[in-house]
Order: sequence, then structure tokens, then C-alpha cells
Amino acid sequence: MKQFTNEVARREPAFVMRLKRLGSLHQCRLSFMRILTRRMACDGWTFSRSAFEIDARGVGHAVYAAKGPNRTYSLVAFAHDLPSEMRSDRVIAEAWDATFTLFDGVPTADDIERLSRNIPLQEAGRISEQELSLSRANRSVRLWGHVIDQLAKGQQPDLEKINSVGYLMRTTAVYGSGKFGAADRDKIATRDEMQAPFQAEMLSVYLTRTFVRDLVQHLANLRGGDAAVTLDPAIARQLGIGNSTGLGMAPFIINHPVLFNNWIMAREEAISRVRALKYASSSERQLFWNLLARSKLSVEAWRSKHPRQIEKLRQLKVDMTALAEWYQGDAPDQEYPWDRLVRWSGNTLSEEGQELVGSLILEPYGHLVDGLESCMADGNLEAFTIDGVMTTGDVRSLIRESFGWALDMNWNDPENCARAWYVSEEKLEPRMGERFEEPIADYEQPLAPARDAALAFRALEIFEPHQPIAEFLASHPEHRHTIRRAQMSQYAPYGEIRDNTISATVLPIDMLRAKLSFFGATHFDPRSDRWLRICMFSGAPYPEDLTEKNADFWVFPEVKN
Amino acid sequence: MNFSLNEVEATAKRAARGAGYSWGIAEEAAKATRWLCHLGLDGSQALAKLLTRDFASNLKIHAPLAVGGKWCAEHDLCPLLTGAHLSDFASKLSGNTVELQNVACPTLLLPFAASAARTLNLCLTIECDGIETVTNGADVQVSRDIPARATKMLVYEVGRLTLPRARHSRFFPNLEDWEILNQFAHRTFAPATDESRLLGAGSGLSDND
Repeated sequence: MKQFTNEVARREPAFVMRLKRLGSLHQCRLSFMRILTRRMACDGWTFSRSAFEIDARGVGHAVYAAKGPNRTYSLVAFAHDLPSEMRSDRVIAEAWDATFTLFDGVPTADDIERLSRNIPLQEAGRISEQELSLSRANRSVRLWGHVIDQLAKGQQPDLEKINSVGYLMRTTAVYGSGKFGAADRDKIATRDEMQAPFQAEMLSVYLTRTFVRDLVQHLANLRGGDAAVTLDPAIARQLGIGNSTGLGMAPFIINHPVLFNNWIMAREEAISRVRALKYASSSERQLFWNLLARSKLSVEAWRSKHPRQIEKLRQLKVDMTALAEWYQGDAPDQEYPWDRLVRWSGNTLSEEGQELVGSLILEPYGHLVDGLESCMADGNLEAFTIDGVMTTGDVRSLIRESFGWALDMNWNDPENCARAWYVSEEKLEPRMGERFEEPIADYEQPLAPARDAALAFRALEIFEPHQPIAEFLASHPEHRHTIRRAQMSQYAPYGEIRDNTISATVLPIDMLRAKLSFFGATHFDPRSDRWLRICMFSGAPYPEDLTEKNADFWVFPEVKN
Repeated sequence: MNFSLNEVEATAKRAARGAGYSWGIAEEAAKATRWLCHLGLDGSQALAKLLTRDFASNLKIHAPLAVGGKWCAEHDLCPLLTGAHLSDFASKLSGNTVELQNVACPTLLLPFAASAARTLNLCLTIECDGIETVTNGADVQVSRDIPARATKMLVYEVGRLTLPRARHSRFFPNLEDWEILNQFAHRTFAPATDESRLLGAGSGLSDND
């Protein structure tokens, strides 16, 4: 990724990659959902519902096709009648209200039959190279029955209830990239529409939202007959798809340092490009002001019962007022207004507010920002290969660059290594436990790069700085993964989290939020220190309404006049 | 039954770790197995056979030492450690021949030679008790079946790919080998306990509302 200008440097990795900041990231123009809707609108995708065979109990299947310029993708959805006591968002659940796959092409009747025997089983079934994703969703108990009851009676659902939940169903896992037999990423990575990360998964969720809207309407119509009414399109549009996310996402960002770097670096490069602008035109300033007002609505609608998030939201609301005051002063008229704003926010706002600013200043500048989409995938296959010729001295420098803060820590202090990440034999659920209280240390996953870097750094001390690292690795294969990561950091300066991921106080929800913010999620609602709920595609136009005009800013709620 | 290459890689990584290799070597095993399966060679069989020999419990006696220009070990060479070494020292291959003595499961050495070929941007020939294999890093040409153990292997810069093997996007394993890998992989999973089920991933507020 080329630095566009040298007038304003990208923010330093040591500043950006702290967990608390990563846990305050917000969606932006480069979020994967927005990349998808922009592309579909720009390329004139068409959408159709080719099957909807669902009975009065809500059992059956449906197929939604999305046709782009070169190929068609189909969401195949199965709806089930799930007893309430079986409903759980955990990985260890074995049945769901609805299950899905994104099919590469248009499925035949035989495909549907095959999928009907496998998709409802999720991890216990098998899918093929024709399928790009595997996912499931559960109904929101708070909203589902209410919406059907109201529509069946001829009334619209209660807006307060809609606002307090935000979705009718929440997905509890969306698998892609070769999982459970699905097509590998390689199959689609070179397609224009799939080049950016997670586009298949985002498309699957986008179509799932449409299915859920149609399903609730279908059931209301069957129950209410002539008395039933159609869900107000304005309410429907506000409804997103919820998602429950657990610990699986945290290992992902540690295990894919180059990919994660590319996301962060694209956003940081975008921020630096916008900060380097000498003036903002009145239309650019107006758009920023307009979206700031709309962001305020989004913040006000953001609910959480988690004490930490409640406090963060309280601060963010104060930040929103301060931001409005800043804009109304004379700073936006001066030179380098966005750089001034970022500097001012660093001294004035909470990290939630600072990162909101970082995302929001990108909005008027699609022409400077959107091209960075193409840098966000991980195409650097050779990053895995260790350069054995590099000297131990150079490797130590790389380790010091990413983990200087960790080298003098006492890694034997129980506070510093209280936790261990492991995979349970129960459906391979990723978990985090107490190293000194549970028998898990033998199963520890390599998710403590800082500790491992400190150990490797010490082991390297007895080697001469000019010796090739290959000599070190020949006698220390146990440090191979750390040396690989250190070398990756040359290309991926934002690939390492600059905090202790196994400390007694680590909050995995910060890692989950970092990843989900790049998906484009909003309304992060931690449910404990290790799982959270979010909303996806809330405000997005449904397929039949998608146009170039509404494909981008849907994430910001409309200000009502 | 067929598997995605991602599944091959994930299974191989867990299996190698379960067999006692370090994470870094397990990552190498995973990429190597994937590379083989992508080119229609039975990576899962080679890895299953290697892991069954339990080199990891005393790895030092299977690690390569350079003695008089030849790489050897007290016992059979581990192809993962030797391969990693070969890839790390790719620069030594330029214009030279590396000789390896007594290599277990030599098929697993090919992906590492391929990695070296990519680094050097040239073709390498891998001779395995007289059976020639050529790789340019991305593709491979195999003249005959590679034996389960090689007494003498030579790796040198020369060769040309005239008949590269077909690339595959799916892998159809021998189920016995696959089962062996899964048994090793299972060793990396923590047994389920009530406490870990409750606290390890969830707890907190209700997930059914």
C-alpha cells in the first residue's frame, strides 16, 4: 500500500494497536458491508426470490438469487420449528430457528435436496465446493412473536420494542473459507466482487435479512388472513440482522496478522490522506455535518447493559456534543481542518469518540478512500516463508519494534499469564480459561504473541547479531512461529496487538469489536467479557430498493424532519 | 468423502501439534500437507505415517546436522525439521547440491524444496533414491512414486518442468490416514468440563431473549 502523501504520517502502530483503542473502533467507508452494497448498486445487481415454500409452522425452504455482471449467488434458507428450550447462541447449540448457505450459482432441485439434508445440521453436516458459506440464525424472543402478533392483527409493531432490539433474528455463526467442506477462499479470491474480505459472508447476511423480513410477514399473513397488514417499510428498513459473537473471532485476528494489518493499515492510510487535505469544501463540510448529526442518532439508539459499555456510551454522548461545538466554531474553515479535528479529538474526546472521528472524516472522500478496498485482502502468500538469511540482530530489532513493551515484563507473574486460550473438544468451541485454576495449560493455543516474543528475544541473546536466523531456528524450533510473526511485521506493521492477550484483565470483547467494526457492525453490546451482540445492515435498503444513491450512507439513521 | 484444502491445512496443523511438534513446525506441516494435496499428492498419508513414528518425543535425534557436506541425524531425518531447515537455508542451494541421508517420509520434503525454489526463483530437482522430482515452487513433476523412506536424497538447482501435475481444489483422503490425523488432532482439544462450558466461552447475560 503506497503512502499517498507524506504530509501527515499514518498514526503509529504503538498508538493504534492497543486493545482499548481496537475495542473502540467504528465502521467506516471501508467496512465490508458497505463495500458490498456499493458494489452491488454500482454494478446494477438484480435480485429475485425463486422459491419460498414455507408452511404455517414456519417450516420449509426459500431461495434468494443475487445476480451480478458475471455470475449469480443464491442464498438457500431453511426455516425450522425450534422448541424454545433448544435455542442458544453458543457454538455448542445443535439446532436453530433458521439455517443458511450461500450457493455459488443457481441451485438445482438436487442441490436443494442435498442441502436440506446437511445445512440444518450445520457443523454436523457436510457442504461442497459449490457452497461459499454456512450459517444459522435464531429468533429474537423479544421481538419475533410481537411483530407477528401485531401484523396479524392489522397493527404495526411497537417502535420502542423495535428500537430496543433492532433485529428479528440474529446469526450465531457465519462460516466460510472451506469450513465444513465449503469452497476454499482460493476459488473466489480473484473475482472482482469477492476480492475484498468477507464479501460472500456479507452477501449471505444481507440476503438473510431479506428472508427474515419475508418470513415474519408470511407467518403474520397466514395467521391474520385478511386482517394482516404489511410491515411498514420504514420499520423494516430499520431492522438489521443481529449477531452473537463469541471467542472464535479473537483467535482469528491473532492468527491472521497480515490480513488484520491490511484492514487497519487501509483505514489508517485513509485517515492520513484525509488529514493531509489543506481545505474542506463547503459540500464536504456539509456532508460531514450531516453525517455527524445522523451518527448522534445512532449513538442515542445504541443500548447496552454491560457496565463498561454503558460508561463508554456515556462518554461518547458527551463527545458528540463536543464535536458539534467544534464544528460550529471556526476550525473547519481553517487550513487542514481534518488534521486539526483529529488532533483536537486526541486531546478532548474518549477513545470511542476519537475513533468515531477517524471513521467519520473519511465519509466525504470516497475518491480518496474507496480504492483502498483492494488492499484489504491478504494476497501475500510468501509472508509465511521465513527468510533464514536475516540476521538474529535484525530479528531482535523487529521483535523490539512490536513488543518492546513486553520484553521486560515478568511473564511468570500469575497476573501476566493468568489466562490461557484453548479449544474445547465440545464442537471445537474456542474458550479462554484460568491457567492456574483449570487443567488447560497443556492445550494452550499460540495466542500470546507478546509472551512468546519475550521468550524468543531472550533465547536470541546468546547468538551473535550477525548470525543468520536459520541457525537459531535449527536449534530452537520452538520459537519458529514467533520468528515468522516477527518477519511478517516488516510488511504488516499493524499486525500485532500491543497488549497482553493472556493477562488477568484482558477483555476479549475488545478483539471481537475490532474485527466486527471492519465488517461494518454497529451497536456493539457486550454480554460478558467474552461475547457480544451486534447489529448488521440496520438501515440498509432491501435488494429491491438498492440504488447507487442509497448504497453508501444507509448505516447512518435518517434525521426526521 | 472429500475435503477443502483449508480443512486439510487445519487438520494437519492440529495433528502435528497433537503429535508433539512446536506450533511453528506444526504450521509448516500444515502448509506442506496442503501444498501436496493441492498437487494431487497424498499429503495426509505422508503426514500420518510420519506422526505415527513419534519423532517429536525425541526430536534431537531426528534433526539435521551437517556432517562432511551431508545432512544426517543419529536416526532417520524428520522431513519437517529438515524441510524447514532446507527452506530457511534456500540460499545455500543456489549452485550447490545438498545431500540428505536416511529421510523418513520424503514426500513431505517436497513442499519445502518448493518453498526454496520460490525464494530462489528457479527450478529445483529433488532426487529420492534415484527418483526425480522437479518443482518450480508452484508446480511439481514426479517421475515415479516416492518411497516411504529415502536412503539418499539430493536437492539441486537444475531441471525444467515439462509435465506438471494437475492442480486440485479438493482432497480425497484415504480414510484410515485421515482418521490417524484426527486422532492426533484430538489431543489438542481440552476435555469438556462443566466449569469450562459455563465460563470458558460464555456466561454473562442470557443468550435466548
